[in-house]
Amino acid sequence: MAASTYSPSQGAERRQRQQQMRRLSIQSDWDRSDGRSFIQCRPAFLRTGAANAASGSAYAEFGTTKVIVSVFGPRESKKAMAYSDIGRLNCNVTFTTFATSVRGQGSDNKVYSAMLHKALEGAVMLETFPKTTVDVFALVLESGGSDLPVIISCASLALADAGIMMFDLVSSVSVSCIGKNILIDPTIEEEICQDGSLVLACMPARNEVTQLTLTGEWSLPKIDEAMGLCMDACVKLTGIMRTCLKESANLSS
Amino acid sequence: MVGLSEGEKQFLRGGIEQNLRADGRTRNQFRPIYVETGVIPQANGSARVRLGATEVIASIKAELGKPSILHPDKGKVSIFVDCSPTAAPIYEGKGGEELSMELSVALERCLLGGKSGAGAAIDLSLLVLVEGKVCWDLYVDALVVSSDGNLLDSLAAAIKAALSNTGLPKVNVVLGASPEEQPEVDVSDEEFLQFDTSAVPVIVTLTKVGKQYIVDATSEEESQMSSAVSVSVNRNGQICGLTKRGGAGLDPSVIHDMVSVAKYVSQEFISVLDSEVAAAEASEE
Repeated sequence: MAASTYSPSQGAERRQRQQQMRRLSIQSDWDRSDGRSFIQCRPAFLRTGAANAASGSAYAEFGTTKVIVSVFGPRESKKAMAYSDIGRLNCNVTFTTFATSVRGQGSDNKVYSAMLHKALEGAVMLETFPKTTVDVFALVLESGGSDLPVIISCASLALADAGIMMFDLVSSVSVSCIGKNILIDPTIEEEICQDGSLVLACMPARNEVTQLTLTGEWSLPKIDEAMGLCMDACVKLTGIMRTCLKESANLSS
Repeated sequence: MVGLSEGEKQFLRGGIEQNLRADGRTRNQFRPIYVETGVIPQANGSARVRLGATEVIASIKAELGKPSILHPDKGKVSIFVDCSPTAAPIYEGKGGEELSMELSVALERCLLGGKSGAGAAIDLSLLVLVEGKVCWDLYVDALVVSSDGNLLDSLAAAIKAALSNTGLPKVNVVLGASPEEQPEVDVSDEEFLQFDTSAVPVIVTLTKVGKQYIVDATSEEESQMSSAVSVSVNRNGQICGLTKRGGAGLDPSVIHDMVSVAKYVSQEFISVLDSEVAAAEASEE
Protein backbone atom coordinates (compact mmCIF):
# COMPACT_ATOMS: atom_id res chain seq x y z
CA MET A 1 0.00 0.00 0.00
CA ALA A 2 1.36 3.39 -0.93
CA ALA A 3 2.30 5.77 1.88
CA SER A 4 -0.23 8.52 2.49
CA THR A 5 0.90 12.01 1.54
CA TYR A 6 0.86 15.18 3.56
CA SER A 7 -0.95 17.22 0.92
CA PRO A 8 -3.98 19.27 1.95
CA SER A 9 -7.31 17.73 1.06
CA GLN A 10 -8.64 18.78 -2.29
CA GLY A 11 -11.46 16.33 -2.55
CA ALA A 12 -14.75 15.75 -0.85
CA GLU A 13 -13.85 17.43 2.42
CA ARG A 14 -12.98 20.73 0.83
CA ARG A 15 -16.01 20.73 -1.39
CA GLN A 16 -18.21 20.11 1.60
CA ARG A 17 -16.69 23.09 3.35
CA GLN A 18 -17.24 25.23 0.28
CA GLN A 19 -20.83 24.11 -0.05
CA GLN A 20 -21.40 24.93 3.60
CA MET A 21 -19.92 28.36 3.01
CA ARG A 22 -22.19 28.94 0.04
CA ARG A 23 -25.25 27.97 2.07
CA LEU A 24 -24.18 30.39 4.81
CA SER A 25 -23.54 33.16 2.33
CA ILE A 26 -27.09 33.05 1.00
CA GLN A 27 -28.24 34.37 4.36
CA SER A 28 -27.88 38.09 4.85
CA ASP A 29 -25.75 38.14 7.93
CA TRP A 30 -22.93 35.79 8.63
CA ASP A 31 -19.46 36.17 10.02
CA ARG A 32 -16.46 36.08 7.78
CA SER A 33 -13.79 33.59 8.74
CA ASP A 34 -11.54 36.26 10.29
CA GLY A 35 -14.32 38.12 12.09
CA ARG A 36 -14.49 41.13 9.78
CA SER A 37 -17.70 42.75 8.63
CA PHE A 38 -18.51 42.89 4.93
CA ILE A 39 -17.07 46.36 4.48
CA GLN A 40 -14.00 45.93 6.62
CA CYS A 41 -10.60 45.54 5.00
CA ARG A 42 -7.77 43.54 6.46
CA PRO A 43 -5.18 45.49 8.48
CA ALA A 44 -2.40 46.68 6.18
CA PHE A 45 1.30 46.47 7.06
CA LEU A 46 3.58 48.40 4.70
CA ARG A 47 7.31 49.01 4.84
CA THR A 48 9.69 50.56 2.37
CA GLY A 49 13.36 49.75 1.94
CA ALA A 50 12.88 45.99 2.07
CA ALA A 51 15.55 45.21 -0.57
CA ASN A 52 18.85 47.06 -0.26
CA ALA A 53 20.14 46.46 -3.78
CA ALA A 54 17.16 48.06 -5.45
CA SER A 55 16.57 51.75 -6.18
CA GLY A 56 13.36 51.42 -4.24
CA SER A 57 11.42 48.63 -2.68
CA ALA A 58 8.42 47.89 -0.50
CA TYR A 59 6.97 45.03 1.48
CA ALA A 60 3.24 44.65 2.05
CA GLU A 61 1.36 42.27 4.30
CA PHE A 62 -2.44 42.30 4.13
CA GLY A 63 -3.63 39.45 6.33
CA THR A 64 -2.09 36.35 4.79
CA THR A 65 -1.15 38.00 1.48
CA LYS A 66 2.53 38.92 1.51
CA VAL A 67 4.17 40.72 -1.39
CA ILE A 68 7.60 42.28 -1.89
CA VAL A 69 8.29 44.64 -4.79
CA SER A 70 11.65 45.97 -6.02
CA VAL A 71 12.11 48.83 -8.44
CA PHE A 72 15.28 49.17 -10.49
CA GLY A 73 15.93 52.24 -12.55
CA PRO A 74 15.78 54.40 -14.45
CA ARG A 75 18.47 52.39 -16.17
CA GLU A 76 19.52 51.24 -19.60
CA SER A 77 17.14 48.59 -20.89
CA LYS A 78 18.51 45.14 -21.68
CA LYS A 79 16.54 44.84 -24.91
CA ALA A 80 18.04 47.18 -27.48
CA MET A 81 15.17 49.53 -28.10
CA ALA A 82 14.82 52.24 -30.67
CA TYR A 83 15.18 55.78 -29.36
CA SER A 84 12.06 56.99 -27.61
CA ASP A 85 11.53 60.35 -25.97
CA ILE A 86 9.49 58.79 -23.19
CA GLY A 87 10.64 56.17 -20.71
CA ARG A 88 9.50 52.57 -20.52
CA LEU A 89 7.89 50.78 -17.63
CA ASN A 90 8.58 47.07 -17.42
CA CYS A 91 6.54 45.05 -14.91
CA ASN A 92 7.09 41.48 -13.87
CA VAL A 93 5.08 39.49 -11.34
CA THR A 94 6.22 36.11 -10.09
CA PHE A 95 4.76 33.77 -7.53
CA THR A 96 7.09 31.76 -5.35
CA THR A 97 6.45 28.05 -5.60
CA PHE A 98 5.37 27.99 -1.94
CA ALA A 99 2.95 30.90 -2.29
CA THR A 100 -0.14 28.80 -2.85
CA SER A 101 -1.46 25.73 -1.06
CA VAL A 102 -0.64 23.57 -4.06
CA ARG A 103 3.03 23.89 -5.03
CA GLY A 104 3.65 25.92 -8.14
CA GLN A 105 0.00 26.75 -8.69
CA GLY A 106 0.36 30.50 -9.25
CA SER A 107 0.84 30.60 -12.96
CA ASP A 108 -0.93 33.87 -13.76
CA ASN A 109 2.43 35.61 -14.13
CA LYS A 110 2.00 37.09 -17.58
CA VAL A 111 -1.58 38.14 -16.93
CA TYR A 112 -0.75 39.80 -13.61
CA SER A 113 2.32 41.49 -15.11
CA ALA A 114 0.18 43.02 -17.86
CA MET A 115 -2.45 44.15 -15.38
CA LEU A 116 0.15 45.68 -13.07
CA HIS A 117 1.58 47.55 -16.04
CA LYS A 118 -1.85 48.87 -16.99
CA ALA A 119 -2.56 50.03 -13.46
CA LEU A 120 0.74 51.90 -13.10
CA GLU A 121 1.25 53.38 -16.55
CA GLY A 122 -1.43 56.01 -16.01
CA ALA A 123 0.32 57.27 -12.89
CA VAL A 124 4.01 57.26 -13.83
CA MET A 125 5.36 60.33 -15.63
CA LEU A 126 7.22 58.56 -18.40
CA GLU A 127 8.54 61.82 -19.88
CA THR A 128 10.83 62.33 -16.89
CA PHE A 129 13.12 59.42 -17.81
CA PRO A 130 13.45 59.31 -21.61
CA LYS A 131 15.53 56.61 -23.30
CA THR A 132 15.63 54.55 -20.08
CA THR A 133 13.58 51.82 -18.46
CA VAL A 134 12.18 51.41 -15.00
CA ASP A 135 11.84 47.75 -13.99
CA VAL A 136 9.26 46.75 -11.41
CA PHE A 137 9.69 43.23 -10.04
CA ALA A 138 6.95 41.91 -7.79
CA LEU A 139 7.31 38.68 -5.85
CA VAL A 140 4.33 37.14 -4.12
CA LEU A 141 5.57 35.31 -1.05
CA GLU A 142 2.17 34.14 0.09
CA SER A 143 -1.09 34.30 -1.81
CA GLY A 144 -3.91 34.81 0.67
CA GLY A 145 -6.57 36.40 -1.48
CA SER A 146 -6.95 39.76 -3.21
CA ASP A 147 -3.43 39.35 -4.64
CA LEU A 148 -3.47 41.80 -7.53
CA PRO A 149 -4.64 44.82 -5.50
CA VAL A 150 -1.92 44.21 -2.92
CA ILE A 151 0.68 43.89 -5.69
CA ILE A 152 -0.45 47.17 -7.28
CA SER A 153 -0.45 49.13 -4.02
CA CYS A 154 2.92 47.73 -2.98
CA ALA A 155 4.43 48.46 -6.42
CA SER A 156 3.27 52.05 -6.30
CA LEU A 157 4.84 52.43 -2.86
CA ALA A 158 8.10 50.96 -4.18
CA LEU A 159 8.08 53.39 -7.12
CA ALA A 160 7.64 56.28 -4.69
CA ASP A 161 10.49 54.92 -2.58
CA ALA A 162 12.69 54.83 -5.70
CA GLY A 163 11.94 58.47 -6.42
CA ILE A 164 10.20 57.88 -9.77
CA MET A 165 7.98 60.86 -10.56
CA MET A 166 4.30 60.02 -10.46
CA PHE A 167 1.04 61.98 -10.61
CA ASP A 168 -0.19 60.30 -7.46
CA LEU A 169 0.12 57.07 -5.51
CA VAL A 170 -1.93 54.25 -6.98
CA SER A 171 -3.89 52.19 -4.50
CA SER A 172 -6.06 49.24 -5.32
CA VAL A 173 -8.86 47.33 -3.64
CA SER A 174 -11.01 44.44 -4.76
CA VAL A 175 -14.49 43.34 -3.78
CA SER A 176 -16.09 39.94 -4.06
CA CYS A 177 -19.74 39.32 -4.72
CA ILE A 178 -21.18 36.25 -2.99
CA GLY A 179 -24.93 35.85 -3.39
CA LYS A 180 -26.43 39.27 -2.64
CA ASN A 181 -23.54 40.43 -0.48
CA ILE A 182 -20.56 42.51 -1.47
CA LEU A 183 -17.44 41.71 0.54
CA ILE A 184 -14.44 43.98 0.43
CA ASP A 185 -10.86 42.63 0.42
CA PRO A 186 -11.73 38.93 0.10
CA THR A 187 -9.58 36.13 1.47
CA ILE A 188 -8.74 33.16 -0.68
CA GLU A 189 -11.59 30.99 0.68
CA GLU A 190 -14.05 33.76 -0.16
CA GLU A 191 -12.54 34.20 -3.62
CA ILE A 192 -12.91 30.55 -4.54
CA CYS A 193 -16.69 30.55 -4.09
CA GLN A 194 -17.34 34.09 -5.31
CA ASP A 195 -20.01 34.87 -7.88
CA GLY A 196 -18.23 37.90 -9.22
CA SER A 197 -15.37 40.22 -8.49
CA LEU A 198 -14.41 43.82 -9.09
CA VAL A 199 -10.80 45.01 -8.95
CA LEU A 200 -10.26 48.75 -8.95
CA ALA A 201 -7.01 50.72 -8.99
CA CYS A 202 -7.19 54.48 -8.67
CA MET A 203 -5.32 57.68 -7.98
CA PRO A 204 -7.34 59.26 -5.16
CA ALA A 205 -5.92 62.77 -5.38
CA ARG A 206 -6.96 63.03 -9.01
CA ASN A 207 -10.13 60.98 -8.47
CA GLU A 208 -9.19 58.88 -11.49
CA VAL A 209 -9.57 55.16 -12.01
CA THR A 210 -6.48 53.67 -13.68
CA GLN A 211 -7.74 50.13 -13.86
CA LEU A 212 -11.09 48.41 -13.48
CA THR A 213 -11.92 44.79 -14.15
CA LEU A 214 -15.15 43.01 -13.42
CA THR A 215 -16.18 39.37 -13.62
CA GLY A 216 -19.49 37.69 -12.94
CA GLU A 217 -22.98 39.09 -13.33
CA TRP A 218 -23.62 42.65 -12.09
CA SER A 219 -26.37 45.19 -12.37
CA LEU A 220 -25.53 48.85 -12.82
CA PRO A 221 -26.55 49.98 -9.28
CA LYS A 222 -24.46 47.16 -7.82
CA ILE A 223 -21.44 48.30 -9.82
CA ASP A 224 -21.93 51.83 -8.49
CA GLU A 225 -22.11 50.57 -4.91
CA ALA A 226 -19.01 48.42 -5.30
CA MET A 227 -17.04 51.20 -7.01
CA GLY A 228 -18.02 53.65 -4.27
CA LEU A 229 -16.80 51.21 -1.61
CA CYS A 230 -13.53 50.64 -3.43
CA MET A 231 -12.81 54.33 -4.05
CA ASP A 232 -13.39 55.11 -0.38
CA ALA A 233 -11.14 52.27 0.73
CA CYS A 234 -8.48 53.39 -1.78
CA VAL A 235 -8.45 56.91 -0.32
CA LYS A 236 -7.83 55.51 3.15
CA LEU A 237 -5.18 53.09 1.88
CA THR A 238 -3.34 55.95 0.15
CA GLY A 239 -3.33 57.76 3.50
CA ILE A 240 -1.66 54.75 5.11
CA MET A 241 0.89 54.57 2.25
CA ARG A 242 1.74 58.24 2.67
CA THR A 243 2.26 57.81 6.42
CA CYS A 244 4.59 54.90 5.71
CA LEU A 245 6.66 57.01 3.28
CA LYS A 246 6.86 59.92 5.71
CA GLU A 247 8.00 57.60 8.50
CA SER A 248 10.79 56.12 6.41
CA ALA A 249 11.84 59.62 5.33
CA ASN A 250 11.98 60.71 8.97
CA LEU A 251 14.00 57.65 9.93
CA SER A 252 16.63 58.24 7.26
CA SER A 253 17.06 61.94 8.00
CA MET B 1 -1.17 51.64 -40.72
CA VAL B 2 0.46 54.79 -41.97
CA GLY B 3 0.68 57.54 -39.37
CA LEU B 4 -1.93 60.26 -39.30
CA SER B 5 -1.14 63.86 -40.09
CA GLU B 6 -2.14 66.64 -37.72
CA GLY B 7 -4.97 67.64 -40.03
CA GLU B 8 -6.36 64.11 -40.15
CA LYS B 9 -6.24 63.86 -36.36
CA GLN B 10 -8.20 67.12 -36.03
CA PHE B 11 -10.70 65.84 -38.57
CA LEU B 12 -11.26 62.64 -36.62
CA ARG B 13 -11.60 64.36 -33.26
CA GLY B 14 -13.82 67.14 -34.59
CA GLY B 15 -16.09 64.66 -36.31
CA ILE B 16 -16.50 62.64 -33.15
CA GLU B 17 -17.41 65.74 -31.19
CA GLN B 18 -20.04 66.68 -33.77
CA ASN B 19 -21.52 63.17 -33.82
CA LEU B 20 -20.52 62.59 -37.44
CA ARG B 21 -17.55 60.27 -37.81
CA ALA B 22 -15.22 59.92 -40.77
CA ASP B 23 -17.28 57.14 -42.35
CA GLY B 24 -20.62 58.86 -41.75
CA ARG B 25 -21.65 56.94 -38.64
CA THR B 26 -22.94 58.50 -35.44
CA ARG B 27 -21.15 57.85 -32.17
CA ASN B 28 -23.40 54.94 -31.20
CA GLN B 29 -23.52 53.14 -34.51
CA PHE B 30 -21.85 49.85 -35.32
CA ARG B 31 -20.42 49.01 -38.72
CA PRO B 32 -22.45 46.50 -40.74
CA ILE B 33 -21.77 43.01 -39.45
CA TYR B 34 -21.47 39.91 -41.63
CA VAL B 35 -21.60 36.42 -40.11
CA GLU B 36 -20.86 33.07 -41.68
CA THR B 37 -21.04 29.83 -39.69
CA GLY B 38 -19.64 26.37 -40.22
CA VAL B 39 -16.52 27.61 -42.01
CA ILE B 40 -14.18 25.02 -40.49
CA PRO B 41 -15.38 21.47 -41.12
CA GLN B 42 -12.84 19.90 -38.74
CA ALA B 43 -14.08 21.84 -35.74
CA ASN B 44 -17.19 21.14 -33.69
CA GLY B 45 -18.34 24.70 -34.33
CA SER B 46 -16.96 27.70 -36.13
CA ALA B 47 -17.86 31.14 -37.38
CA ARG B 48 -16.39 33.98 -39.36
CA VAL B 49 -17.38 37.53 -38.52
CA ARG B 50 -16.64 40.67 -40.49
CA LEU B 51 -17.19 44.04 -38.85
CA GLY B 52 -16.22 46.62 -41.44
CA ALA B 53 -12.66 45.67 -42.39
CA THR B 54 -12.00 43.71 -39.19
CA GLU B 55 -12.27 39.99 -39.85
CA VAL B 56 -11.99 37.23 -37.27
CA ILE B 57 -12.54 33.49 -37.30
CA ALA B 58 -13.52 31.52 -34.20
CA SER B 59 -13.42 27.74 -33.94
CA ILE B 60 -14.55 25.50 -31.11
CA LYS B 61 -13.15 22.05 -30.63
CA ALA B 62 -14.39 19.69 -27.96
CA GLU B 63 -12.22 16.94 -26.62
CA LEU B 64 -12.82 14.44 -23.86
CA GLY B 65 -10.80 15.07 -20.78
CA LYS B 66 -10.70 14.77 -17.02
CA PRO B 67 -12.25 17.49 -14.82
CA SER B 68 -9.95 19.36 -12.47
CA ILE B 69 -9.74 18.13 -8.88
CA LEU B 70 -11.01 21.47 -7.55
CA HIS B 71 -14.19 21.37 -9.67
CA PRO B 72 -15.11 17.77 -10.45
CA ASP B 73 -18.62 18.71 -11.50
CA LYS B 74 -17.59 21.18 -14.16
CA GLY B 75 -16.14 20.89 -17.64
CA LYS B 76 -13.33 23.12 -18.83
CA VAL B 77 -13.26 25.95 -21.34
CA SER B 78 -10.11 27.66 -22.50
CA ILE B 79 -10.01 30.65 -24.82
CA PHE B 80 -7.02 31.44 -26.95
CA VAL B 81 -6.66 34.29 -29.43
CA ASP B 82 -4.02 34.33 -32.13
CA CYS B 83 -3.16 37.51 -34.01
CA SER B 84 -2.02 36.41 -37.42
CA PRO B 85 0.73 38.34 -39.26
CA THR B 86 -1.70 38.74 -42.16
CA ALA B 87 -3.48 41.31 -40.02
CA ALA B 88 -0.39 43.41 -39.40
CA PRO B 89 3.30 42.58 -39.98
CA ILE B 90 4.07 43.55 -36.39
CA TYR B 91 2.20 40.45 -35.21
CA GLU B 92 4.82 38.08 -36.56
CA GLY B 93 6.47 35.81 -34.01
CA LYS B 94 6.39 37.33 -30.54
CA GLY B 95 5.04 40.70 -31.62
CA GLY B 96 1.42 39.75 -31.38
CA GLU B 97 1.84 37.85 -28.11
CA GLU B 98 0.98 40.75 -25.81
CA LEU B 99 -2.13 41.70 -27.73
CA SER B 100 -3.22 38.05 -28.00
CA MET B 101 -2.88 37.59 -24.27
CA GLU B 102 -4.77 40.80 -23.48
CA LEU B 103 -7.63 39.74 -25.76
CA SER B 104 -7.70 36.16 -24.41
CA VAL B 105 -7.82 37.36 -20.81
CA ALA B 106 -10.56 39.89 -21.55
CA LEU B 107 -12.64 37.25 -23.37
CA GLU B 108 -12.17 34.70 -20.59
CA ARG B 109 -13.22 37.29 -18.03
CA CYS B 110 -16.38 38.16 -19.93
CA LEU B 111 -17.42 34.69 -20.98
CA LEU B 112 -16.49 32.52 -18.03
CA GLY B 113 -18.09 34.53 -15.23
CA GLY B 114 -17.18 34.45 -11.56
CA LYS B 115 -15.13 31.69 -9.95
CA SER B 116 -18.24 29.89 -8.75
CA GLY B 117 -19.56 29.87 -12.29
CA ALA B 118 -22.25 32.49 -11.83
CA GLY B 119 -22.90 34.66 -14.84
CA ALA B 120 -21.01 32.37 -17.18
CA ALA B 121 -21.92 32.26 -20.82
CA ILE B 122 -21.65 28.50 -20.97
CA ASP B 123 -22.96 26.44 -18.10
CA LEU B 124 -19.91 24.34 -17.29
CA SER B 125 -21.92 21.69 -15.46
CA LEU B 126 -23.52 20.79 -18.80
CA LEU B 127 -20.11 19.68 -20.04
CA VAL B 128 -19.66 16.97 -17.43
CA LEU B 129 -20.30 13.38 -18.50
CA VAL B 130 -19.17 11.42 -15.44
CA GLU B 131 -18.53 13.51 -12.36
CA GLY B 132 -14.88 13.50 -11.44
CA LYS B 133 -13.84 11.31 -14.34
CA VAL B 134 -14.93 12.41 -17.81
CA CYS B 135 -15.85 15.82 -19.07
CA TRP B 136 -15.74 17.86 -22.22
CA ASP B 137 -12.81 20.23 -22.68
CA LEU B 138 -13.86 23.09 -24.92
CA TYR B 139 -11.04 24.80 -26.76
CA VAL B 140 -12.15 28.13 -28.19
CA ASP B 141 -9.55 29.33 -30.68
CA ALA B 142 -9.94 32.66 -32.36
CA LEU B 143 -7.86 33.99 -35.20
CA VAL B 144 -7.57 37.64 -36.18
CA VAL B 145 -7.29 37.70 -39.95
CA SER B 146 -7.60 41.40 -40.60
CA SER B 147 -7.54 44.19 -38.08
CA ASP B 148 -9.28 47.53 -38.47
CA GLY B 149 -10.07 48.30 -34.86
CA ASN B 150 -12.54 46.88 -32.35
CA LEU B 151 -11.05 43.40 -32.21
CA LEU B 152 -12.63 42.50 -28.88
CA ASP B 153 -16.21 43.06 -30.00
CA SER B 154 -15.75 41.07 -33.20
CA LEU B 155 -14.06 38.22 -31.33
CA ALA B 156 -16.91 38.02 -28.83
CA ALA B 157 -19.47 38.06 -31.66
CA ALA B 158 -17.56 35.32 -33.50
CA ILE B 159 -17.40 33.16 -30.38
CA LYS B 160 -21.12 33.63 -29.82
CA ALA B 161 -21.85 32.63 -33.41
CA ALA B 162 -19.47 29.66 -33.22
CA LEU B 163 -21.12 28.46 -30.01
CA SER B 164 -24.54 28.45 -31.62
CA ASN B 165 -23.02 26.45 -34.47
CA THR B 166 -21.37 23.95 -32.11
CA GLY B 167 -22.64 20.42 -31.89
CA LEU B 168 -21.28 18.18 -29.16
CA PRO B 169 -21.49 14.52 -30.15
CA LYS B 170 -23.59 12.34 -27.90
CA VAL B 171 -21.45 10.10 -25.75
CA ASN B 172 -22.43 6.74 -24.28
CA VAL B 173 -20.53 6.13 -21.07
CA VAL B 174 -20.08 2.66 -19.65
CA LEU B 175 -18.92 2.83 -16.06
CA GLY B 176 -16.19 0.44 -15.10
CA ALA B 177 -16.74 -2.34 -12.57
CA SER B 178 -14.90 -0.56 -9.72
CA PRO B 179 -14.95 3.22 -8.99
CA GLU B 180 -11.23 3.56 -9.73
CA GLU B 181 -11.46 2.23 -13.28
CA GLN B 182 -11.72 4.68 -16.18
CA PRO B 183 -15.17 4.50 -17.79
CA GLU B 184 -15.45 3.41 -21.38
CA VAL B 185 -16.68 6.10 -23.71
CA ASP B 186 -18.35 5.65 -27.02
CA VAL B 187 -18.55 8.82 -29.06
CA SER B 188 -21.46 8.79 -31.43
CA ASP B 189 -21.13 10.13 -34.95
CA GLU B 190 -24.79 10.65 -35.54
CA GLU B 191 -26.44 12.59 -32.76
CA PHE B 192 -25.35 16.02 -31.66
CA LEU B 193 -26.26 18.29 -28.77
CA GLN B 194 -26.61 21.98 -29.51
CA PHE B 195 -25.76 24.78 -27.11
CA ASP B 196 -28.28 27.28 -25.90
CA THR B 197 -26.54 30.56 -26.63
CA SER B 198 -29.20 32.94 -25.41
CA ALA B 199 -27.16 33.53 -22.26
CA VAL B 200 -23.93 34.29 -24.12
CA PRO B 201 -23.07 37.98 -23.72
CA VAL B 202 -21.69 40.35 -26.32
CA ILE B 203 -18.91 42.83 -25.70
CA VAL B 204 -19.28 46.51 -26.52
CA THR B 205 -16.12 48.59 -26.44
CA LEU B 206 -16.50 52.30 -25.81
CA THR B 207 -13.49 54.32 -26.88
CA LYS B 208 -13.00 57.71 -25.32
CA VAL B 209 -11.67 60.33 -27.71
CA GLY B 210 -11.54 63.77 -26.20
CA LYS B 211 -14.69 64.15 -24.11
CA GLN B 212 -16.91 61.83 -26.14
CA TYR B 213 -17.18 58.07 -26.37
CA ILE B 214 -17.66 56.14 -29.60
CA VAL B 215 -18.80 52.62 -30.27
CA ASP B 216 -16.96 50.33 -32.69
CA ALA B 217 -13.85 52.40 -33.37
CA THR B 218 -11.76 51.89 -36.49
CA SER B 219 -8.02 51.58 -36.02
CA GLU B 220 -7.55 55.26 -36.97
CA GLU B 221 -10.00 56.32 -34.30
CA GLU B 222 -8.34 53.94 -31.82
CA SER B 223 -4.99 55.64 -32.38
CA GLN B 224 -6.54 58.84 -31.03
CA MET B 225 -8.07 57.28 -27.95
CA SER B 226 -7.13 58.20 -24.41
CA SER B 227 -8.77 55.15 -22.87
CA ALA B 228 -11.43 52.55 -23.57
CA VAL B 229 -13.87 50.49 -21.56
CA SER B 230 -15.04 47.11 -22.83
CA VAL B 231 -18.34 46.06 -21.29
CA SER B 232 -19.88 42.64 -21.67
CA VAL B 233 -23.68 42.69 -21.55
CA ASN B 234 -26.10 39.81 -21.88
CA ARG B 235 -29.63 39.80 -23.17
CA ASN B 236 -31.13 40.59 -19.76
CA GLY B 237 -29.12 43.77 -19.49
CA GLN B 238 -26.81 42.36 -16.82
CA ILE B 239 -23.17 43.34 -16.96
CA CYS B 240 -21.15 40.14 -17.25
CA GLY B 241 -17.67 41.61 -17.31
CA LEU B 242 -15.82 44.84 -17.68
CA THR B 243 -12.26 45.69 -18.62
CA LYS B 244 -10.77 49.13 -18.72
CA ARG B 245 -8.11 49.46 -21.38
CA GLY B 246 -5.75 52.21 -22.30
CA GLY B 247 -3.38 54.21 -20.18
CA ALA B 248 -5.22 57.33 -19.07
CA GLY B 249 -7.23 57.44 -15.88
CA LEU B 250 -11.01 57.86 -15.89
CA ASP B 251 -13.32 59.58 -13.48
CA PRO B 252 -15.76 57.12 -11.82
CA SER B 253 -18.78 59.10 -13.04
CA VAL B 254 -17.45 58.84 -16.59
CA ILE B 255 -17.16 55.07 -16.18
CA HIS B 256 -20.74 54.90 -14.92
CA ASP B 257 -21.89 56.87 -17.95
CA MET B 258 -19.93 54.66 -20.34
CA VAL B 259 -21.40 51.51 -18.80
CA SER B 260 -24.97 52.78 -19.21
CA VAL B 261 -24.29 53.78 -22.84
CA ALA B 262 -22.81 50.33 -23.46
CA LYS B 263 -25.88 48.70 -21.90
CA TYR B 264 -28.17 50.71 -24.16
CA VAL B 265 -26.21 50.08 -27.34
CA SER B 266 -25.71 46.38 -26.65
CA GLN B 267 -29.40 45.52 -26.78
CA GLU B 268 -29.62 46.55 -30.42
CA PHE B 269 -26.33 44.86 -31.23
CA ILE B 270 -27.51 41.60 -29.68
CA SER B 271 -30.68 41.56 -31.80
CA VAL B 272 -28.74 42.38 -34.99
CA LEU B 273 -26.18 39.68 -34.22
CA ASP B 274 -28.83 37.09 -33.38
CA SER B 275 -30.68 37.68 -36.64
CA GLU B 276 -27.42 37.52 -38.62
CA VAL B 277 -26.43 34.26 -36.94
CA ALA B 278 -29.87 32.77 -37.58
CA ALA B 279 -29.63 33.79 -41.23
CA ALA B 280 -26.14 32.28 -41.50
CA GLU B 281 -27.26 29.00 -39.94
CA ALA B 282 -30.27 28.85 -42.24
CA SER B 283 -28.21 29.50 -45.36
CA GLU B 284 -25.70 26.87 -44.27
CA GLU B 285 -28.40 24.24 -44.40
